[in-house]
Amino acid sequence: MAVYRRSNRHRFLLVLLVLTSVTILTLDQRGQSSGIVGQVRTTARDLLAPVQTAVASVFKPLGNLGGGVLHYSDVKAENAKLRRQLEAARAQAATASDAERERKELLQQQQLQFAGDIPQVSARVVSTAPSNFQLTVGLNRGRDAGVEPGMPVVTGAGLVGKVVDASRTRSTVLLVTDPSFNVGIRFTTSGDVGVAKGAGARQALAVDFVDVNTKVGDHEIVVTSGLQQSVFPPAVPVGRVASAHKVPGLLQQDVRIDPIVDLRRLEFVKVLKWKGTA
Amino acid sequence: MTSPRVKLPLLLILAVVVHTAVLAQLRIDGVAPDLMLLVAIAGGVAAGPSGGAVVGFMAGLSIDLFLQTPLGLSALTFSLVGYAVGNVQAGVLRASWWIPLATVLVASIAGEVGYAAVGSVIGQTQMMTPRLLVIAPLVGVFNMVLAPLVLPVVRWAARPTQLAPAYR
Repeated sequence: MAVYRRSNRHRFLLVLLVLTSVTILTLDQRGQSSGIVGQVRTTARDLLAPVQTAVASVFKPLGNLGGGVLHYSDVKAENAKLRRQLEAARAQAATASDAERERKELLQQQQLQFAGDIPQVSARVVSTAPSNFQLTVGLNRGRDAGVEPGMPVVTGAGLVGKVVDASRTRSTVLLVTDPSFNVGIRFTTSGDVGVAKGAGARQALAVDFVDVNTKVGDHEIVVTSGLQQSVFPPAVPVGRVASAHKVPGLLQQDVRIDPIVDLRRLEFVKVLKWKGTA
Repeated sequence: MTSPRVKLPLLLILAVVVHTAVLAQLRIDGVAPDLMLLVAIAGGVAAGPSGGAVVGFMAGLSIDLFLQTPLGLSALTFSLVGYAVGNVQAGVLRASWWIPLATVLVASIAGEVGYAAVGSVIGQTQMMTPRLLVIAPLVGVFNMVLAPLVLPVVRWAARPTQLAPAYR
Protein backbone atom coordinates (compact mmCIF):
# COMPACT_ATOMS: atom_id res chain seq x y z
CA MET A 1 0.00 0.00 0.00
CA ALA A 2 1.22 3.48 -0.75
CA VAL A 3 1.04 4.74 2.83
CA TYR A 4 3.03 1.78 4.16
CA ARG A 5 5.76 2.23 1.57
CA ARG A 6 5.94 5.96 2.29
CA SER A 7 6.51 5.54 6.01
CA ASN A 8 9.24 2.99 5.32
CA ARG A 9 10.96 5.50 3.11
CA HIS A 10 10.70 8.16 5.80
CA ARG A 11 12.22 5.82 8.32
CA PHE A 12 15.00 4.86 5.97
CA LEU A 13 15.83 8.50 5.41
CA LEU A 14 15.86 9.14 9.14
CA VAL A 15 18.19 6.22 9.78
CA LEU A 16 20.48 7.50 7.06
CA LEU A 17 20.59 10.96 8.61
CA VAL A 18 21.15 9.57 12.10
CA LEU A 19 24.04 7.48 10.86
CA THR A 20 25.52 10.48 9.09
CA SER A 21 25.27 12.54 12.26
CA VAL A 22 26.95 9.82 14.30
CA THR A 23 29.72 9.58 11.72
CA ILE A 24 30.32 13.30 11.88
CA LEU A 25 30.27 13.13 15.68
CA THR A 26 32.89 10.39 15.62
CA LEU A 27 35.08 12.40 13.30
CA ASP A 28 34.91 15.40 15.61
CA GLN A 29 35.86 13.54 18.77
CA ARG A 30 37.37 16.29 20.75
CA GLY A 31 35.68 19.30 19.21
CA GLN A 32 39.00 21.06 18.72
CA SER A 33 40.17 22.98 15.71
CA SER A 34 42.24 20.21 14.16
CA GLY A 35 41.44 17.82 11.40
CA ILE A 36 38.98 18.22 8.59
CA VAL A 37 35.99 18.92 10.82
CA GLY A 38 37.89 21.68 12.56
CA GLN A 39 38.79 23.17 9.19
CA VAL A 40 35.14 23.23 8.14
CA ARG A 41 34.21 24.88 11.40
CA THR A 42 36.83 27.59 11.23
CA THR A 43 36.06 28.31 7.59
CA ALA A 44 32.35 28.66 8.33
CA ARG A 45 33.00 31.02 11.22
CA ASP A 46 35.39 33.16 9.24
CA LEU A 47 33.00 33.35 6.32
CA LEU A 48 30.08 34.38 8.44
CA ALA A 49 31.98 36.75 10.72
CA PRO A 50 31.57 39.92 8.61
CA VAL A 51 27.88 39.25 8.03
CA GLN A 52 27.33 38.68 11.74
CA THR A 53 29.18 41.87 12.62
CA ALA A 54 27.07 43.85 10.18
CA VAL A 55 23.78 42.40 11.40
CA ALA A 56 24.81 42.81 15.03
CA SER A 57 25.73 46.45 14.53
CA VAL A 58 22.33 47.07 12.97
CA PHE A 59 20.48 45.44 15.83
CA LYS A 60 22.67 46.59 18.70
CA PRO A 61 20.74 49.83 19.26
CA LEU A 62 17.56 47.78 19.64
CA GLY A 63 19.20 45.55 22.19
CA ASN A 64 20.59 48.56 24.03
CA LEU A 65 17.18 50.22 23.95
CA GLY A 66 15.55 47.14 25.39
CA GLY A 67 18.23 46.78 28.02
CA GLY A 68 18.04 50.47 28.88
CA VAL A 69 14.28 50.38 29.31
CA LEU A 70 14.35 47.28 31.47
CA HIS A 71 17.29 48.29 33.64
CA TYR A 72 17.10 52.09 33.74
CA SER A 73 16.90 52.49 37.50
CA ASP A 74 19.68 49.94 38.02
CA VAL A 75 21.90 51.80 35.59
CA LYS A 76 21.27 55.13 37.31
CA ALA A 77 22.00 53.72 40.76
CA GLU A 78 25.13 52.05 39.50
CA ASN A 79 26.28 55.26 37.88
CA ALA A 80 26.02 57.10 41.16
CA LYS A 81 27.83 54.33 43.00
CA LEU A 82 30.62 54.23 40.43
CA ARG A 83 31.18 57.97 40.69
CA ARG A 84 31.60 57.67 44.44
CA GLN A 85 34.00 54.76 44.02
CA LEU A 86 35.98 56.65 41.42
CA GLU A 87 36.51 59.53 43.81
CA ALA A 88 37.68 57.17 46.54
CA ALA A 89 39.95 55.34 44.13
CA ARG A 90 41.59 58.55 42.95
CA ALA A 91 42.37 59.41 46.53
CA GLN A 92 44.06 56.07 47.06
CA ALA A 93 46.01 56.11 43.82
CA ALA A 94 48.83 58.21 45.16
CA THR A 95 49.63 55.94 48.09
CA ALA A 96 49.15 52.83 46.01
CA SER A 97 51.64 53.75 43.32
CA ASP A 98 54.50 53.74 45.78
CA ALA A 99 53.57 50.33 47.14
CA GLU A 100 53.26 49.04 43.57
CA ARG A 101 56.76 50.16 42.72
CA GLU A 102 58.13 48.41 45.76
CA ARG A 103 56.25 45.22 44.95
CA LYS A 104 57.56 45.16 41.38
CA GLU A 105 61.11 45.50 42.67
CA LEU A 106 60.60 42.60 45.05
CA LEU A 107 59.11 40.42 42.33
CA GLN A 108 61.93 41.14 39.98
CA GLN A 109 64.41 40.18 42.64
CA GLN A 110 62.73 36.80 43.02
CA GLN A 111 62.36 36.36 39.23
CA LEU A 112 58.68 35.54 39.40
CA GLN A 113 56.55 36.08 36.35
CA PHE A 114 53.98 38.80 36.68
CA ALA A 115 50.91 38.97 34.54
CA GLY A 116 51.78 42.45 33.34
CA ASP A 117 54.93 41.27 31.57
CA ILE A 118 53.23 38.68 29.37
CA PRO A 119 52.53 39.78 25.79
CA GLN A 120 48.85 40.63 25.36
CA VAL A 121 46.34 40.98 22.56
CA SER A 122 43.54 43.46 23.11
CA ALA A 123 40.17 42.31 21.90
CA ARG A 124 36.56 43.23 22.05
CA VAL A 125 33.62 41.00 22.87
CA VAL A 126 31.46 40.89 19.76
CA SER A 127 29.03 38.07 20.40
CA THR A 128 27.53 36.02 23.16
CA ALA A 129 27.13 32.27 23.13
CA PRO A 130 24.78 30.94 20.47
CA SER A 131 24.04 28.13 22.90
CA ASN A 132 21.85 28.03 26.00
CA PHE A 133 24.12 25.46 27.63
CA GLN A 134 27.54 27.01 27.40
CA LEU A 135 28.78 30.29 28.77
CA THR A 136 31.06 31.64 26.10
CA VAL A 137 31.72 34.96 24.43
CA GLY A 138 33.16 35.66 21.03
CA LEU A 139 36.11 38.00 20.50
CA ASN A 140 36.99 39.92 17.38
CA ARG A 141 40.57 38.59 17.28
CA GLY A 142 41.66 35.19 16.05
CA ARG A 143 44.74 33.29 14.98
CA ASP A 144 45.79 36.08 12.65
CA ALA A 145 46.32 38.26 15.72
CA GLY A 146 48.10 35.52 17.64
CA VAL A 147 45.19 34.18 19.66
CA GLU A 148 45.43 30.42 20.19
CA PRO A 149 43.19 28.00 22.09
CA GLY A 150 44.33 27.59 25.68
CA MET A 151 45.32 31.21 26.25
CA PRO A 152 43.90 32.95 29.32
CA VAL A 153 41.66 36.00 28.91
CA VAL A 154 41.63 38.80 31.49
CA THR A 155 40.40 42.32 32.04
CA GLY A 156 41.98 44.95 34.24
CA ALA A 157 40.08 43.47 37.19
CA GLY A 158 40.95 39.81 36.79
CA LEU A 159 40.28 36.51 35.07
CA VAL A 160 37.54 36.23 32.48
CA GLY A 161 38.15 32.75 31.12
CA LYS A 162 40.22 30.92 28.55
CA VAL A 163 40.20 30.68 24.78
CA VAL A 164 38.75 27.37 23.62
CA ASP A 165 38.50 27.90 19.90
CA ALA A 166 40.08 30.25 17.40
CA SER A 167 39.45 30.72 13.72
CA ARG A 168 41.41 33.23 11.72
CA THR A 169 39.42 36.32 12.67
CA ARG A 170 37.34 35.22 15.63
CA SER A 171 37.86 33.32 18.85
CA THR A 172 35.63 31.84 21.50
CA VAL A 173 36.28 32.31 25.22
CA LEU A 174 34.92 29.95 27.87
CA LEU A 175 33.90 32.04 30.88
CA VAL A 176 34.85 31.23 34.46
CA THR A 177 31.20 30.59 35.29
CA ASP A 178 30.78 27.79 32.74
CA PRO A 179 30.33 24.42 34.47
CA SER A 180 33.22 22.90 32.54
CA PHE A 181 35.75 25.58 33.57
CA ASN A 182 38.47 24.84 36.16
CA VAL A 183 41.26 27.02 37.50
CA GLY A 184 43.84 26.37 40.22
CA ILE A 185 43.58 29.13 42.81
CA ARG A 186 45.41 30.37 45.87
CA PHE A 187 43.99 32.25 48.84
CA THR A 188 45.88 35.49 49.35
CA THR A 189 45.89 35.50 53.15
CA SER A 190 46.70 31.88 53.92
CA GLY A 191 48.48 30.90 50.73
CA ASP A 192 46.64 27.59 50.54
CA VAL A 193 45.51 26.29 47.16
CA GLY A 194 42.35 24.84 45.70
CA VAL A 195 40.57 24.38 42.36
CA ALA A 196 37.70 26.68 41.43
CA LYS A 197 35.01 25.40 39.08
CA GLY A 198 32.22 27.26 37.35
CA ALA A 199 28.69 26.58 38.54
CA GLY A 200 26.54 28.34 35.95
CA ALA A 201 25.65 31.88 34.96
CA ARG A 202 25.53 34.39 37.81
CA GLN A 203 26.41 31.67 40.32
CA ALA A 204 29.39 31.71 42.65
CA LEU A 205 32.21 29.38 41.69
CA ALA A 206 32.71 26.30 43.85
CA VAL A 207 36.20 25.63 45.18
CA ASP A 208 37.44 22.08 45.73
CA PHE A 209 40.39 20.66 47.67
CA VAL A 210 40.40 23.32 50.37
CA ASP A 211 41.66 21.73 53.56
CA VAL A 212 39.32 21.98 56.55
CA ASN A 213 42.06 23.60 58.61
CA THR A 214 42.60 26.47 56.17
CA LYS A 215 41.50 29.82 57.49
CA VAL A 216 39.41 31.35 54.74
CA GLY A 217 38.85 35.08 55.26
CA ASP A 218 35.54 36.75 54.49
CA HIS A 219 35.61 38.53 51.09
CA GLU A 220 39.20 37.45 50.72
CA ILE A 221 40.66 37.87 47.23
CA VAL A 222 41.53 34.64 45.46
CA VAL A 223 44.15 34.57 42.70
CA THR A 224 45.36 31.96 40.22
CA SER A 225 47.96 29.67 41.74
CA GLY A 226 50.03 29.26 38.59
CA LEU A 227 51.34 25.94 39.80
CA GLN A 228 53.64 24.02 37.50
CA GLN A 229 52.20 23.26 34.06
CA SER A 230 49.23 25.46 34.80
CA VAL A 231 47.12 26.88 32.02
CA PHE A 232 47.00 30.23 33.79
CA PRO A 233 49.83 32.52 34.89
CA PRO A 234 50.05 33.08 38.65
CA ALA A 235 48.59 35.98 40.62
CA VAL A 236 45.70 36.85 38.32
CA PRO A 237 42.71 37.77 40.53
CA VAL A 238 39.85 35.33 40.12
CA GLY A 239 37.27 36.28 42.71
CA ARG A 240 36.28 37.09 46.25
CA VAL A 241 35.22 34.57 48.85
CA ALA A 242 31.45 34.64 49.20
CA SER A 243 31.03 31.88 51.76
CA ALA A 244 33.01 29.13 53.48
CA HIS A 245 31.44 26.30 55.49
CA LYS A 246 33.03 23.34 57.12
CA VAL A 247 30.79 20.40 56.32
CA PRO A 248 31.08 17.75 59.03
CA GLY A 249 32.39 14.47 57.75
CA LEU A 250 34.04 15.85 54.59
CA LEU A 251 37.76 16.30 54.14
CA GLN A 252 37.36 19.69 52.52
CA GLN A 253 35.57 22.95 53.19
CA ASP A 254 32.68 24.15 51.05
CA VAL A 255 33.97 27.46 49.71
CA ARG A 256 32.24 29.66 47.15
CA ILE A 257 33.78 32.61 45.37
CA ASP A 258 32.15 35.37 43.36
CA PRO A 259 33.97 36.15 40.11
CA ILE A 260 35.82 39.43 40.36
CA VAL A 261 34.96 40.45 36.80
CA ASP A 262 31.41 41.54 35.98
CA LEU A 263 30.74 38.99 33.26
CA ARG A 264 27.50 40.57 32.19
CA ARG A 265 29.22 43.75 31.05
CA LEU A 266 32.27 42.47 29.25
CA GLU A 267 33.41 44.59 26.41
CA PHE A 268 37.17 45.05 26.25
CA VAL A 269 39.42 42.19 27.27
CA LYS A 270 43.04 41.16 26.89
CA VAL A 271 44.19 37.74 25.74
CA LEU A 272 47.45 36.76 27.42
CA LYS A 273 49.87 34.98 25.13
CA TRP A 274 50.69 32.45 27.80
CA LYS A 275 51.17 28.84 26.78
CA GLY A 276 51.78 27.34 30.21
CA THR A 277 55.12 26.44 31.73
CA ALA A 278 56.55 23.18 30.46
CA MET B 1 14.86 30.25 -7.58
CA THR B 2 11.73 28.38 -6.62
CA SER B 3 13.24 24.99 -5.88
CA PRO B 4 13.42 23.96 -2.23
CA ARG B 5 17.01 22.93 -2.88
CA VAL B 6 17.84 26.59 -3.37
CA LYS B 7 15.45 28.16 -0.89
CA LEU B 8 16.25 25.92 2.09
CA PRO B 9 20.02 26.47 2.22
CA LEU B 10 19.51 30.23 1.84
CA LEU B 11 16.93 30.15 4.60
CA LEU B 12 19.31 28.22 6.84
CA ILE B 13 22.16 30.67 6.30
CA LEU B 14 19.81 33.54 7.15
CA ALA B 15 18.56 31.69 10.21
CA VAL B 16 22.10 31.05 11.49
CA VAL B 17 23.05 34.69 11.05
CA VAL B 18 19.90 35.93 12.78
CA HIS B 19 20.31 33.39 15.58
CA THR B 20 23.96 34.12 16.36
CA ALA B 21 23.92 37.86 15.81
CA VAL B 22 20.49 38.88 17.08
CA LEU B 23 18.62 36.23 19.02
CA ALA B 24 21.55 35.17 21.18
CA GLN B 25 21.51 38.63 22.78
CA LEU B 26 17.79 38.53 23.63
CA ARG B 27 17.99 36.57 26.83
CA ILE B 28 15.55 36.34 29.67
CA ASP B 29 17.10 34.71 32.72
CA GLY B 30 20.07 33.85 30.55
CA VAL B 31 18.04 31.78 28.06
CA ALA B 32 17.69 32.70 24.39
CA PRO B 33 15.29 31.29 21.77
CA ASP B 34 16.62 28.38 19.76
CA LEU B 35 15.83 29.47 16.23
CA MET B 36 17.52 26.50 14.57
CA LEU B 37 15.46 24.07 16.61
CA LEU B 38 12.36 26.03 15.62
CA VAL B 39 13.34 25.76 11.96
CA ALA B 40 13.73 22.00 12.40
CA ILE B 41 10.28 21.74 14.00
CA ALA B 42 8.77 23.95 11.29
CA GLY B 43 10.35 21.66 8.73
CA GLY B 44 8.54 18.75 10.31
CA VAL B 45 5.26 20.64 10.36
CA ALA B 46 5.59 21.80 6.78
CA ALA B 47 7.17 18.84 5.04
CA GLY B 48 6.31 15.66 6.89
CA PRO B 49 8.67 13.14 8.51
CA SER B 50 11.38 12.91 5.85
CA GLY B 51 11.30 16.63 5.13
CA GLY B 52 11.48 17.32 8.85
CA ALA B 53 14.40 14.95 9.25
CA VAL B 54 16.33 16.59 6.40
CA VAL B 55 15.61 20.16 7.50
CA GLY B 56 16.43 19.21 11.08
CA PHE B 57 19.71 17.63 10.04
CA MET B 58 20.76 20.65 7.99
CA ALA B 59 19.66 23.14 10.64
CA GLY B 60 21.48 21.22 13.36
CA LEU B 61 24.63 20.92 11.31
CA SER B 62 24.57 24.66 10.55
CA ILE B 63 24.41 25.67 14.20
CA ASP B 64 26.94 23.00 15.25
CA LEU B 65 29.55 24.88 13.26
CA PHE B 66 29.23 27.73 15.74
CA LEU B 67 28.99 25.81 18.98
CA GLN B 68 31.69 24.35 21.18
CA THR B 69 29.97 20.99 21.50
CA PRO B 70 30.95 18.23 19.06
CA LEU B 71 29.92 18.72 15.46
CA GLY B 72 26.92 16.55 14.69
CA LEU B 73 25.23 16.70 18.09
CA SER B 74 22.59 19.21 17.07
CA ALA B 75 22.31 17.58 13.64
CA LEU B 76 21.44 14.25 15.28
CA THR B 77 19.02 15.71 17.81
CA PHE B 78 17.25 18.08 15.45
CA SER B 79 16.79 15.50 12.71
CA LEU B 80 15.12 13.20 15.24
CA VAL B 81 12.90 16.06 16.42
CA GLY B 82 11.99 17.01 12.84
CA TYR B 83 11.13 13.41 12.04
CA ALA B 84 8.99 13.01 15.16
CA VAL B 85 7.15 16.29 14.56
CA GLY B 86 6.51 15.32 10.95
CA ASN B 87 5.09 11.98 12.04
CA VAL B 88 2.80 13.52 14.65
CA GLN B 89 1.72 16.32 12.37
CA ALA B 90 0.77 13.88 9.63
CA GLY B 91 -1.65 12.19 11.97
CA VAL B 92 -3.36 15.38 13.16
CA LEU B 93 -5.86 17.35 11.12
CA ARG B 94 -4.71 20.95 11.25
CA ALA B 95 -8.11 22.25 12.19
CA SER B 96 -7.20 24.61 15.01
CA TRP B 97 -4.73 27.48 14.93
CA TRP B 98 -3.16 26.51 18.20
CA ILE B 99 -2.09 23.00 17.23
CA PRO B 100 1.11 24.08 15.45
CA LEU B 101 1.94 26.36 18.38
CA ALA B 102 1.40 23.58 20.88
CA THR B 103 3.54 21.32 18.70
CA VAL B 104 6.30 23.92 18.72
CA LEU B 105 6.11 24.26 22.51
CA VAL B 106 6.25 20.54 23.24
CA ALA B 107 8.80 19.76 20.54
CA SER B 108 11.10 22.60 21.66
CA ILE B 109 11.10 21.34 25.24
CA ALA B 110 11.70 17.79 24.02
CA GLY B 111 14.42 19.04 21.68
CA GLU B 112 16.36 20.86 24.40
CA VAL B 113 16.10 17.93 26.82
CA GLY B 114 17.02 15.54 24.03
CA TYR B 115 20.05 17.64 23.11
CA ALA B 116 21.32 17.53 26.68
CA ALA B 117 20.54 13.81 26.96
CA VAL B 118 22.27 12.84 23.71
CA GLY B 119 25.13 15.11 24.68
CA SER B 120 25.60 13.35 27.98
CA VAL B 121 25.68 10.00 26.17
CA ILE B 122 28.66 11.15 24.12
CA GLY B 123 30.52 12.63 27.04
CA GLN B 124 29.21 16.19 27.30
CA THR B 125 27.82 15.60 30.75
CA GLN B 126 27.86 19.23 31.83
CA MET B 127 24.50 19.93 30.20
CA MET B 128 22.34 17.60 32.33
CA THR B 129 21.96 19.96 35.28
CA PRO B 130 18.92 21.29 37.14
CA ARG B 131 19.35 24.41 34.98
CA LEU B 132 17.89 22.34 32.15
CA LEU B 133 14.53 22.58 33.94
CA VAL B 134 14.71 26.35 33.41
CA ILE B 135 16.20 26.32 29.94
CA ALA B 136 13.82 23.86 28.27
CA PRO B 137 10.47 25.49 29.16
CA LEU B 138 11.80 28.99 28.43
CA VAL B 139 13.04 27.88 25.01
CA GLY B 140 9.62 26.28 24.43
CA VAL B 141 7.84 29.55 25.21
CA PHE B 142 10.22 31.71 23.14
CA ASN B 143 9.98 29.38 20.18
CA MET B 144 6.22 29.44 20.48
CA VAL B 145 6.32 33.24 20.29
CA LEU B 146 8.53 33.15 17.21
CA ALA B 147 6.60 30.33 15.54
CA PRO B 148 4.01 32.51 13.72
CA LEU B 149 6.94 34.26 12.00
CA VAL B 150 9.01 31.20 11.22
CA LEU B 151 6.43 28.58 10.23
CA PRO B 152 5.17 30.39 7.10
CA VAL B 153 8.71 31.11 5.95
CA VAL B 154 9.78 27.48 6.26
CA ARG B 155 6.57 26.35 4.62
CA TRP B 156 7.35 28.61 1.68
CA ALA B 157 10.93 27.37 1.48
CA ALA B 158 9.97 23.71 1.62
CA ARG B 159 7.23 23.95 -0.97
CA PRO B 160 8.13 21.83 -3.99
CA THR B 161 8.61 23.53 -7.36
CA GLN B 162 5.49 22.17 -9.01
CA LEU B 163 2.16 21.55 -7.44
CA ALA B 164 2.71 17.79 -7.60
CA PRO B 165 0.63 15.47 -5.46
CA ALA B 166 2.20 14.57 -2.15
CA TYR B 167 2.45 10.87 -2.81
CA ARG B 168 5.36 9.96 -5.04
